[in-house]
Amino acid sequence: MLTFHNVTKYYGERTCALRSVTLDVPRGEFCVVLGSSGAGKSTLLRTVNRLVSPTSGRVAVDGVEVGPRTLAQVRPRVAMIHQQFNLSPRLSVAKNVLAGALPAVSTLAALFHTFPSRFRKRACELISRVGLSEEHLRRRAQELSGGQQQRVGIARAFMLEPVVILADEPVASLDPTISREVLGLLKEASKERQTTVLCSLHQVDLTREFADRVVGMRGGQVVFDGPTAQLDDGMLRVIYDAKKPVSEPAEAPSPVRPGILWPAHT
Amino acid sequence: MAGTHLGQTTVGQPPQSWTIPHPFGPRVIAALFLAAVLLALSAQQVEMDRMLSLTGEWIAAQVGLRESSQVGRGLSRVLLTMFPLQIAERTEVSRIEGLDRRRLPWLSRIEREETRQVKLNPETLKIEQHVEIKEYLVEPFGYLLRVLGKMIDTLEIGLWGTIIAVLVSLPLALWSACNYAPHPIIYTTARSTVSFLRAIPEMISALFLVLAYGFGPVAGILALGFHAAGFLGKFYAEDIENAEKGPQEALFAIGANKLKVLWFGVLPQVLPQYIAYTLYILDRNVRMATVIGIVGAGGIGQELKGRYDMFNYGHVSTILLALFVTVFLLDRLSAQLRARLI
Repeated sequence: MLTFHNVTKYYGERTCALRSVTLDVPRGEFCVVLGSSGAGKSTLLRTVNRLVSPTSGRVAVDGVEVGPRTLAQVRPRVAMIHQQFNLSPRLSVAKNVLAGALPAVSTLAALFHTFPSRFRKRACELISRVGLSEEHLRRRAQELSGGQQQRVGIARAFMLEPVVILADEPVASLDPTISREVLGLLKEASKERQTTVLCSLHQVDLTREFADRVVGMRGGQVVFDGPTAQLDDGMLRVIYDAKKPVSEPAEAPSPVRPGILWPAHT
Repeated sequence: MAGTHLGQTTVGQPPQSWTIPHPFGPRVIAALFLAAVLLALSAQQVEMDRMLSLTGEWIAAQVGLRESSQVGRGLSRVLLTMFPLQIAERTEVSRIEGLDRRRLPWLSRIEREETRQVKLNPETLKIEQHVEIKEYLVEPFGYLLRVLGKMIDTLEIGLWGTIIAVLVSLPLALWSACNYAPHPIIYTTARSTVSFLRAIPEMISALFLVLAYGFGPVAGILALGFHAAGFLGKFYAEDIENAEKGPQEALFAIGANKLKVLWFGVLPQVLPQYIAYTLYILDRNVRMATVIGIVGAGGIGQELKGRYDMFNYGHVSTILLALFVTVFLLDRLSAQLRARLI
């Protein structure tokens, strides 16, 4: 269970990235955060593992409030999947996946790359689960395709059996077919383990296909929150159409006409 | 509002009125002119005009426009004295203690040399002829082997200097990388230490270390190690600071501590550069080890200085050739090592 209560984030004094966001994401739900660039999607995700500290409000993971004191306890339970995969390019696939267990091994063991056998077994299982084979184990991450790298990212994310997975535009740099495969994999793996997924996306078609629930954001505010079936064209206009006013605009609207940005649904 | 204002400026002005700044504006031209004036003054100070005129004379002499030139005379004098290379070692037998004439060293022989001297006998007041026979032990490759032995000493000094430099610079680099330093005071101290180590030339520190540790390789190793630690500390730290942030953020996000992030998120990225820097420092240390030997810090430098002072230029050229071959081989070796490791 992931809870946001009145979460507000200001960058500097004037730029408001999140404005009083209140949200509950139940265990096992695949929740997609939809919105244009600068809507506050990434900031929302990053408040969960405190890569971004909220200016005010509370975020809780399984009832534990995320704060400086609880960070060491919370972070290993919250995995993250990144847009640019963020793997160590020169490390092998196996070591990249094992790196997902770093918080649970001693510093000395980490320095000598000696992970306990349960982690090594788990890494192998996960690498196989994401569709990679034994011959990939020793290959450097930089030698893999984008889709394969994101699969490694997903395997790494599941190493410590997280309760929440934050996926920050996980398929933004992948083609539509690979995107579908990667999101399918993430959804299946999270359903098997009842892991909550909070995923920011740009693609409406993928959102409709994979999300259990959609949270639409605009100008740092939640402007839509409901099951995927309710995400109709009218709601999409509310999320994306800069001409439609939000009750209190957090940032100035973009001077670019919305039709250029998103012609398919206007 | 700022955003609206921004929107108006970018959308409002037509592109016909936009201007792209010219690469050579009046400020750039003024700066170039100033730099040229300063360089001209400096050139006069360091006698660049003399260098040009002497080189010009030498070229003129080479193409037959002049009979001779100062540079040509100097170069030919040096070249004539430097060749042939001195390969053999010739030692007076009377100076060798305990030489077993039946068991001479490999390939060596004893040569006898007669010297006749005409002297005035003060008692008889007659001119007499004295014949003096001197025996020399000639080892055909003796000096070459001696130089090779010294070269190995020099390589060892360079190697240990590099090992010390790496050991000293690794913690310094970690503390002088702004994103990994545990405290601003430690950061400033480490940065200052790295700059200080880099600022003192190894020749100068070797002079003082010879006083502290005595003549021999220890002073040389420490001088090379500390100076190179200043370079490596700076290079290593800058690479840590400039390493791609993504892999580090991914590990911080799941709660890995700084050391683990450094090990898994930074080190794999910077390792190729670290290997390249370290091999360069090894190469540099071997070359510098020959020079610091001149102040008594061991290695082939001491031999070079001794032979140079005794005007034994044939020996000097053997040493220089050995040095060139060693540096060339080291360069090839480090290139292969780099290709294999990276």
